[in-house]
Amino acid sequence: MPAKNFKINLAPFMSNCETTREILGAWLDGELVPAQAEACRLHVDACAACREERHKLERLHSTMQTVLSSSASKVQFDPFWQGVQQRIAQQSKWYDELGDWIRGIFTAPRLAWAVPAVIVIVLAGLSIDSFLPNAKLGMQPDNLATVESIDAYGRNVALLHEGETNTTVIWLYQPQESENDSSTEPSESKPSF
Amino acid sequence: MVIFGLLRNRDDAMEVAQESFFRAYRKITSFHGQSSFYTWLYRIAVNMSIDHQRRQKRSPLEFRESMDEVFEQQNEVAKDPFSDVHDRELREKMLSAIDDLTPEHKAVIVLRTLEGMSYKDIGEILGCSEGTVMSRLHYARKKLQNKLGAFYE
Repeated sequence: MPAKNFKINLAPFMSNCETTREILGAWLDGELVPAQAEACRLHVDACAACREERHKLERLHSTMQTVLSSSASKVQFDPFWQGVQQRIAQQSKWYDELGDWIRGIFTAPRLAWAVPAVIVIVLAGLSIDSFLPNAKLGMQPDNLATVESIDAYGRNVALLHEGETNTTVIWLYQPQESENDSSTEPSESKPSF
Repeated sequence: MVIFGLLRNRDDAMEVAQESFFRAYRKITSFHGQSSFYTWLYRIAVNMSIDHQRRQKRSPLEFRESMDEVFEQQNEVAKDPFSDVHDRELREKMLSAIDDLTPEHKAVIVLRTLEGMSYKDIGEILGCSEGTVMSRLHYARKKLQNKLGAFYE
């Protein structure tokens, strides 16, 4: 039964030997839709070169069938089933199955892209802070107070900023010498928030 | 038969076929009926055969010895339809040409020629589209024709 339309443009192959020969095998295999098969047949009937090509393909198929069948039919099945039963009796170890599973993952052609993709994603995740400093997606926690400026005009001043609550603290304190001078209020010399 | 057609070495084919059946037995719970059981079994066997071919590329000499061994041990050379000298030469050339194909091309040729499978079934077994099967068959046949050109003149 004709299976599928292989989306080949019908117009050119009706008169084009090269295109016809590309689907000649599928036509002989009965795998073209009726419209394609009919167009192919019409071309082959009208073209001596393609007719000869058809006969060559038929001879090739017939020879292959005979060669492969004659060699494959010599397989003996008794030792085969004995071997299968022996394997079942022995069973496989858990590490064989694990090995099969890992091998299956890493040798699957459709997953070949996955390894570089994972590497790219991990690297992008690690370096996102460099590109988006305000995104707050990086590894450094944002709730640490940071000292933004320190100044000294008689008193030392520190400006601290805490990012998570967006709190800014101005920290005033006196140097140790002046603290000794004014011993009446020692508590003022200590940092106060 | 398919595995022997793909590997064409009796010992290797026996080993791969036994392992395929054993794996099918072990993984029978993973068969959910999306395809026919035979397609599923063929998929295991053909994929293992292709892997085996990739791992162990035999030399032409080993291949020829292997084929001779099969025919001689079973004493069927006299009954062989290719007993004529020309035909025997053609058979050897044909087997050698098939052996030179890539594992994927060899698989479509064997599944189509030996088993007469549809492109749809071959595609399910090999995990590719029907169009890919058609394309692979076309190029595989073309390669075989080029290698066996003298026999068809």
